Amino acid sequence: MNWARPYRWPLAVRVPLLVAALLVAVSVVVSQVVLSRLAAEQQRRVAGLADAYLDGVSAALHAALVRRDVWEAFDVVDRARSSFQALPLVAAAALLPDGTVLAATDPRRLPVGSRYADADRVADDAPLAPLQEPRAIVARAVHDGGVFIGRVVIELDLSAELAARQRAGTALFLLNAMLTLLFATLGWWLVRRMLAPVRLLSAHLAASGERPSPLPDAAIGRVGGEFKNLFARFNAMARAVEEREALAARLAEEERLAVLGRLASGVAHEVNNPLGGMLTAVDTLASHGADPAVRAQSVGFLRRGLSDIRNVVRASLVLYKAAPTGADATPEALDDLRHLAGPEARRRRVRLTWNNRLDAPVQADTTLLRQIALNLLLNAIAASPPEAEVRVTIETVPGLLLVRIADQGPGLPADVAAMLDRADAQPPAGRTGLGLWTALSVAHRLGGRIRRLPAATGTTLELEVPLARRPLAHAA
Amino acid sequence: MLAGVLACPAIAHAAPPLSLGITPVFLDSDLLLLRDLEAELSRRAGSRVQLVRKRTYRDITDALLAGQVTAAWICGYPFVRHRDRLALVAVPLWRGRPLYQSYLIARADLPAATLADLRGRSHAFSDPDSNSGWLVTAHALARAGTTPRNFFARSFFTYGHRNVVRAVDAGLADSGSVDGYVWEVLAETEPHLVERTRVLARSAWLGFPPVACLAADADSQGVRRLRDALVGLPADAHGRALLSQLRLDGFTDAPPALFDPIGRLAAEVVA
Repeated sequence: MNWARPYRWPLAVRVPLLVAALLVAVSVVVSQVVLSRLAAEQQRRVAGLADAYLDGVSAALHAALVRRDVWEAFDVVDRARSSFQALPLVAAAALLPDGTVLAATDPRRLPVGSRYADADRVADDAPLAPLQEPRAIVARAVHDGGVFIGRVVIELDLSAELAARQRAGTALFLLNAMLTLLFATLGWWLVRRMLAPVRLLSAHLAASGERPSPLPDAAIGRVGGEFKNLFARFNAMARAVEEREALAARLAEEERLAVLGRLASGVAHEVNNPLGGMLTAVDTLASHGADPAVRAQSVGFLRRGLSDIRNVVRASLVLYKAAPTGADATPEALDDLRHLAGPEARRRRVRLTWNNRLDAPVQADTTLLRQIALNLLLNAIAASPPEAEVRVTIETVPGLLLVRIADQGPGLPADVAAMLDRADAQPPAGRTGLGLWTALSVAHRLGGRIRRLPAATGTTLELEVPLARRPLAHAA
Repeated sequence: MLAGVLACPAIAHAAPPLSLGITPVFLDSDLLLLRDLEAELSRRAGSRVQLVRKRTYRDITDALLAGQVTAAWICGYPFVRHRDRLALVAVPLWRGRPLYQSYLIARADLPAATLADLRGRSHAFSDPDSNSGWLVTAHALARAGTTPRNFFARSFFTYGHRNVVRAVDAGLADSGSVDGYVWEVLAETEPHLVERTRVLARSAWLGFPPVACLAADADSQGVRRLRDALVGLPADAHGRALLSQLRLDGFTDAPPALFDPIGRLAAEVVA
């Protein structure tokens, strides 16, 4: 797995990470909302209590501030403290207009007559600031007939509120972390579970090699929903491929047999032709064998006749060996094709022009090479009209063996010609083009190719086989 | 503090109602106790007895002098100041005697041993008409040739002995002048209130704050019924229970001469 490219990570990793990321984002937003709501609620509650306290105390302190009565002021703020126990009060003080303390709930810290240390920071009647600091000061001015006579100051300890928010934040963080972990794990498990059929299919394809085979029924039974349909369609496709390949193999075999039949017919003709003369020679030997001249002539005739028959039979035997031999192709082996196709050419009154420019063996499998070339040659003969010419040229260029076969026929049908351009061409549906497809398949096994060359009339095909290469290991 | 009349259980009596003024010399913070006292006196007097609370000694003394109440539980100092117009109804017995002391108290953490060490400090008095909460300390300072205003940096009145203890306990004042009876009872009933105070000096034994009436009414039926009710409190369990709550042993008849020492203190201060 390429960790540097997250978009290439497996879904089983990406989805849980995405879920976790979304949950983290949601939890951050939710936590912010919850904490800000909590802070607002705390501020509203504390501000409400502080207002109520200041309302009551400032009214009760009015007379004490006017008379500057220390005890009465103390009595008011001290009693009020016990009445507002929900208010996180640190101290309350009645201040005179000059900022000195008239009385405070904690006289030891705020002695009577001392100047209130934060007098300059105190803003009368200002609303309670957002609860950020552990200590806040709120003040309320007291007037008598429009004359400022003092103020009430309260100091609040907000550490409990801040601690509550801290606890809430920690609890939210832990809860969200647990939920994120839980859902990420759940997501990972679910995605793995959901992708199990994909993994199964992938593993099956990897094990099947190039030829897909149907999944076992037990595997289909374990999945449901879309994957059940997918597996069923996959199996249908795999079976269709199998059937098609079987059909193609059968057709190829039939084609081979058909070629063989045509060859057998030609061979029989080739054998039959000299047989009449040879029988005559035998009769001549029987009648006039004593004459040395007649005997020598008859024996020579028989030798030539038998030699021709031997050539034809040997070429036929070599040609249809099933497996590649791995032997290099000699010029003579390729010339044998001329003998094999010759009878068919003569039967169809087609002129065969043979130009084998090889002068030494080449490193190409002779059996497969001759199968391809013979196929192409017979196709060219079959496509040619009577009295037409089929030209065969065999030559090498650096690294390649080229076998070029030109006919003067009507040209290749479009669908057959299309097979030449595709490395993975499927076998044709009918018999037309089957020979070319077979030749193509074998050429691919040799690592070569067949291409069509431009020609004024007819069709020119060129078989191109790389030299110094062994045929591919697997058999057709 | 507003004057108020405490609610009383409805008692149908033929006799006209009586009223008893209460001042902060008394433990007026305990409303339940006052309600019990009112009920018990009403039962014993045979008529409804209303307890009338005032904020200051002056308020209750003025009410008494104006004939607005049948009798009033006042301090010895107002009694001697208006001795020509007032008569004693009964005097409480505390620890067996009709006597009490004035305490000079200070914050427990204050480095002071005597009154002299309190110079320049803040001081809480109970009431300008209180013997223990003003007169005794003013007298001691007068003998030293000074006055509270000159001796203390700051002094104020709290109009209640319990408030004096609260002020010193909280640190509002460095020291205070308080009724010794009240401080002792608080030490027993509300120890947290006195634990940060300590007694620097105790005065001589002086006449306990008495219940007084107008001299002209001294022999009236109402005053007699009230006196009988007070003096008769130890006679039964109800009365003894009430006295126990007040930490008193009872009420007794006492001669006006009991308060002569207070009169002498007052005379020296005025001089």
